[in-house]
Amino acid sequence: MIAPRWRKVFRDIADTPLRTALAVTAMAAGAFGVTMILTSYSVLKRELKTTYSDTRPASAILVLDGLASDALVESVRQMPGVRDAELRPVIGGRLFIGNGQWVPLILFVVRDFRDIRLDRFTPDAGAWPPGDGEVLIERSSLSVARAAIGDRVIVRTSDHVERPLRIAGTVHAAGLAPGWMEHAVAGFVKSNPQMTQRNTDKGNLADQIRILVTGDTLDESHIREVANRVARSIGHVTRIEVPTPGRHPHAAQMDTFLYLLGAFGVLTFALSAVLVATMIHALLTEQLRQVGVMKTLGASTTQIASLYLGQVAILAAAAIAIGVPLGIAAGQAYAHFAASMLNATITNAMPALWIVLAEVAAGISIPLLVALGPVAHAARISIHEAFSNDVGGKPFGTRRFDRWLARIQWMPRPLMLSLRTTFHRRGRLILTVATLAAGGAAFIAAMNVSATWTRTLDADGRARRFDIQAVFARPYPAAQVMQALASVPDVVHAECWTEAGAMLGDANVSLVGPDVDSKLLALPLIAGRWLRPDDDAVAVINQSVLSLDPTLHLGGDIPLHINGRIVRLSIVGIVKELAPRATVYAPPRAILRATGKPPDLARSVRIVTRQRNISGQVAASKAIEQALENAGISVAGIQALSDSRKSFSDHLVIIKSALIFAALLVVLVGGLGLTSTLTLNVFERTREIGILSAIGATPGTIARDVVVEGMVMAVLSWCAALLVSIPITFALDAATGQMFIRSALDFYMSPIAAAVWLLLVLILAALSSFYPARRSARLAVREAIAYE
Amino acid sequence: MIHVQALSKTYETPAGAFPALRNIDLDIAAGEFVAIVGKSGSGKSTLLNMVGGIDRPSSGTLRVGGRRIQGLTHSELASWRGRTVGFVFQFFQLLPTLTVAENVMLPMDFCGVRPRSERRKHAMSLLDRVGVADQADKLPSALSGGQQQRVAIARALANDPPVILADEPTGNLDSETSIAIFRLFGELSEEGKTLLVVTHDREAAASVSRTVTIVDGCVA
Repeated sequence: MIAPRWRKVFRDIADTPLRTALAVTAMAAGAFGVTMILTSYSVLKRELKTTYSDTRPASAILVLDGLASDALVESVRQMPGVRDAELRPVIGGRLFIGNGQWVPLILFVVRDFRDIRLDRFTPDAGAWPPGDGEVLIERSSLSVARAAIGDRVIVRTSDHVERPLRIAGTVHAAGLAPGWMEHAVAGFVKSNPQMTQRNTDKGNLADQIRILVTGDTLDESHIREVANRVARSIGHVTRIEVPTPGRHPHAAQMDTFLYLLGAFGVLTFALSAVLVATMIHALLTEQLRQVGVMKTLGASTTQIASLYLGQVAILAAAAIAIGVPLGIAAGQAYAHFAASMLNATITNAMPALWIVLAEVAAGISIPLLVALGPVAHAARISIHEAFSNDVGGKPFGTRRFDRWLARIQWMPRPLMLSLRTTFHRRGRLILTVATLAAGGAAFIAAMNVSATWTRTLDADGRARRFDIQAVFARPYPAAQVMQALASVPDVVHAECWTEAGAMLGDANVSLVGPDVDSKLLALPLIAGRWLRPDDDAVAVINQSVLSLDPTLHLGGDIPLHINGRIVRLSIVGIVKELAPRATVYAPPRAILRATGKPPDLARSVRIVTRQRNISGQVAASKAIEQALENAGISVAGIQALSDSRKSFSDHLVIIKSALIFAALLVVLVGGLGLTSTLTLNVFERTREIGILSAIGATPGTIARDVVVEGMVMAVLSWCAALLVSIPITFALDAATGQMFIRSALDFYMSPIAAAVWLLLVLILAALSSFYPARRSARLAVREAIAYE
Repeated sequence: MIHVQALSKTYETPAGAFPALRNIDLDIAAGEFVAIVGKSGSGKSTLLNMVGGIDRPSSGTLRVGGRRIQGLTHSELASWRGRTVGFVFQFFQLLPTLTVAENVMLPMDFCGVRPRSERRKHAMSLLDRVGVADQADKLPSALSGGQQQRVAIARALANDPPVILADEPTGNLDSETSIAIFRLFGELSEEGKTLLVVTHDREAAASVSRTVTIVDGCVA
């Protein structure tokens, strides 16, 4: 037989279904939030890692100056330190998407689709392997190609030969960045001696041998050592590329994303802990008189404490039973979504067992821990206090603030009562405000960081004042370019720039030489100054170059390897750019001299057009390309700035999705918490409401005053949320900026975020106060006063 | 049974120190049925709370059942109270989520005075004694005020305490029911219980063996 005191616990839970439901909902919301984030975090972290490592990423890529034979590759496989090798040349080009538009294309030429050893990809849909004249498209770039399986597309390789290819199917290459994000198409074709030979003759194609090293595949210096040895023994190697070992091309994005998930996991956890504390406080305040009665019946402090801890444990268990499975399901759904954004596939969406166990353990132990203080307080309370009406606080008027409030006379009396009650029950006020503020701070911070990214993107766009950029297949005299463009009516202004590739240590950097009088680039300076017309052997570097070699500094030299020579440029400035690509800006003559070319050659052109809208710019770029081609200038790529800006912003989608996800989750958890907290607050005041009714307050007046109290708490919590969101925003701006663009973002507080939360919290406060207040006001006066 | 000597209680309030009881001397023998009367705020309930160990005196001596209760710790006081004193309140104070019988069993549960299996039987006999055995499995809210107070008395008797303290036990009841409750108290007193009852009800208080009047915190 169950002892009557335990029966009381069960009966209390069962007989106040609304209260129980509110408490369980609030706690379940917390458990849901934390579980959802933990699940998606752990599943994504595990799956992203394995998805990438399952492709067997090549340790190094040796670029040859001609064709390699299968026998050569076989001999490389046998070399010491080499575990495996594969020949996979790459052809650059463009793919026609209709309406005179082309998108960048990268074609991987595969020797044998049945023997893919490195940088693996798997069939996704359609045929496998492709036949002659067929191409397999990476699944994430099919939308970029604006084509479907079975369609014929026109491909123009950089030798300007156009050929039709039939899309035979799609593949999944988890090691490639998603095509829709890069705004480029990746395709895989069968090795075709004719095409290979012609491209090689024209210098468009260089064979590439991919190798996987034995030993520590994550040790970059070991990889370089092996690659150098292999290069020396086979000869004809023009370049060795070593991708950062173990890092997916979008690893920085994934890191930022996972960091945000983790950060908001912690915030949600804090929110749910405060929420649980508020719930328990509300439950216990209800019960104080009964505690007094039980004490007169001889109950000891320990007996009372165990009763209420037992009750908390039961509620917590119910909350876990609801919140954890839902959280796991939602977390899995989000993980699938996020993986698709990163071109990864989740093969096993089950969260690790320890996550589930930890969540259950935390779901029980945290409410109990949080409850210990208030339960001990309630259990130790003297019977005298328990029976008196003013429980747990000093009488109104003993604090200076109360007396100050009491002096405010100009407000309507019922409103004054609301305010005084709000501030008098200090414990309840603090907990309620803390719950709302924790949710608000997380929401505002998420919105702030999202807005900061948008602003960063916009600022970077404003720094580039051209509309179209065209890159040539080889350098041409600037005068020839300008003359060709003079015939295009849409061109308002054009500048010829010089570009070259260079190495800083082992890393690739881009060397860009804007026109000496360039008006089209105004990147924000972190330090130093921008290039001047009279500059010579100087450079302005961006923050990504600095992160490659942190010893670089203003006034020092940057040693660049260009065509086998070391060129030293003096650093005069450091700029911040959104693109994480390492770029060195230098005067064109310095670049041309370093590359051994005559002055006045241009490798690219930046153009301002008359057309402001996208379709106008598309038409303009068609006309520009045509004019350049007519003048004998071979265009390797032409891109509207709006398009590259779109690509930048697509790279941020996953980060923003994490932020929006976090904000929505916080609204859900915080909203449920707010509603239940305020509703329980009103329940706590049933007796007071009865007295008000007794002295003539109408249900309408009462409801209005309770709503005012809810609003006051909402506004207070909003102020607290704003304050707390400042350091959170600052930390997230710094961390995500550092991870993704290698530079902290400029701190920004979004007024929209603050306004949205204020509105949300006011609406929720009004709704969750009004209904319970009206309900209380409708209770008969006698019932309310007798309500214990 | 109850020995009060030079007992004083002063409350600190925002308006200054308020002496609720001043220098009270009072002796009540076992089996006495004593009514404490006086105006509102005279200190009647404070005195009752002191005797029941609900509130602590500021000074003076207090012995109940030969035991000095000032020196007891919280938990000692709780278990002492459960075995020695039965409380009856003006507003009954039954736990709303427990049935009538369970309310009566609760003190036995807290103090562990009887084997578990006998508790219900004992509760039923107490309910029978106060005349509400037929209500045993109802919730308090289904009972009339008089019935609830009878249950509260049965609950006060649960651990067979020598002392019963009642604070305005009839303050919320009609006069007929009030007389019946006082008759019940009289029977308990005849059985040897010591009863100390705070009341306004002159008519009902006629059945007591002694009346103590408190005026402004002093025995008049």
